[in-house]
Amino acid sequence: MALLRASGEHTGDAYDFQSVNGEAVDRSGVPHADLLIDYAEAVTGDDPDRLIRARTAIAETLGPAALVDSAGVAAIFQAVVRIADATGIPLEEYKAEITEDVREELGINDFPSVRA
Amino acid sequence: MTELTYRASPVPIRDDLAAAHRRAWRRIAGPGTWWDGPTRVAIAAETRNAPACTLCRRRKEALSPNAVAGTHDSLGALPEIVVEVIHRVRTDASRLTESWYREALDNGLSDGEYVETVGIVATMIAIDSFTHAMGLPTHPLPEPLPGEPSRHRPAGAKPGLAWVPTIAPEDLTDAEPEIYLNRSAANIHRALSLVPDEVAGFFDLDDVQYLPDALLRDFGNEHRDITHAQIELLAARVSAINQCVY
Repeated sequence: MALLRASGEHTGDAYDFQSVNGEAVDRSGVPHADLLIDYAEAVTGDDPDRLIRARTAIAETLGPAALVDSAGVAAIFQAVVRIADATGIPLEEYKAEITEDVREELGINDFPSVRA
Repeated sequence: MTELTYRASPVPIRDDLAAAHRRAWRRIAGPGTWWDGPTRVAIAAETRNAPACTLCRRRKEALSPNAVAGTHDSLGALPEIVVEVIHRVRTDASRLTESWYREALDNGLSDGEYVETVGIVATMIAIDSFTHAMGLPTHPLPEPLPGEPSRHRPAGAKPGLAWVPTIAPEDLTDAEPEIYLNRSAANIHRALSLVPDEVAGFFDLDDVQYLPDALLRDFGNEHRDITHAQIELLAARVSAINQCVY
């Protein structure tokens, strides 16, 4: 989240972070956010037909190389989150501070891993 | 050993990504720090088996995983406590607690064995999720390699930052790989540092599937076929779905 915000600050784009929760995707401000959000949800979900559709949409719209890169990112974060959760590693204070408003707005502070 | 390959993929897979996956497969096959090759491959196999476990499915559906007792549907090659760790990390990681981790230690697992197990599970998830996301078949597991684990525990590892002991950059010695060279000592990089080889191994994958640390804030240049913003949106959505704050 901190890097998404920093990326927007660099380019002068204001991103709507509700898209991180799968909401208001059309207002996110990130190009092709709808396809990427759908792909993330399909990769983490259990509907094979949805994943085929999402994968096809990425490949046809952004290109096959973008599909590979998207698959790489989605897959590595499926693993990163488990390392964080299984080791009890905390979010750094500076990251917590700069994302405090967004985490509150999106309900991230209510995640079980925050309360553990 | 049969090498992991993406030659049959209908979509070309970047050479650096395929090479990193091959390196990861070799690492899983060989002796680690606390586990030997056959055990590491058994942990990899059990990671794949976990989603089919009835106990894990019932726990996932329960308000609290502690409310459901039972035995895991395992492949039978590993002690039950190792299976418990693999299955919980694979299927219900967001509800893990420090007391659950302490219980794993009380049941005979060392903290080093625990961290190495988490590293193997994470490596398997990174690679299997990639093939899943691409619509490719899973790779056959590697054949275990002979050899003894190094059993090296970093002298500078300390408790406090996380549930598991970790090693700060200033506490690394010549006996450990330079795990913070070319990457920050961000907490996520320190998470597995009780077993430095797992840090080096996992972030070798992270560098190609996500971005090398030095390029994360290089917003003036794009290094992939999706932009920084698109990468971070994908990452944030996957983290949110997994209910992970990181």
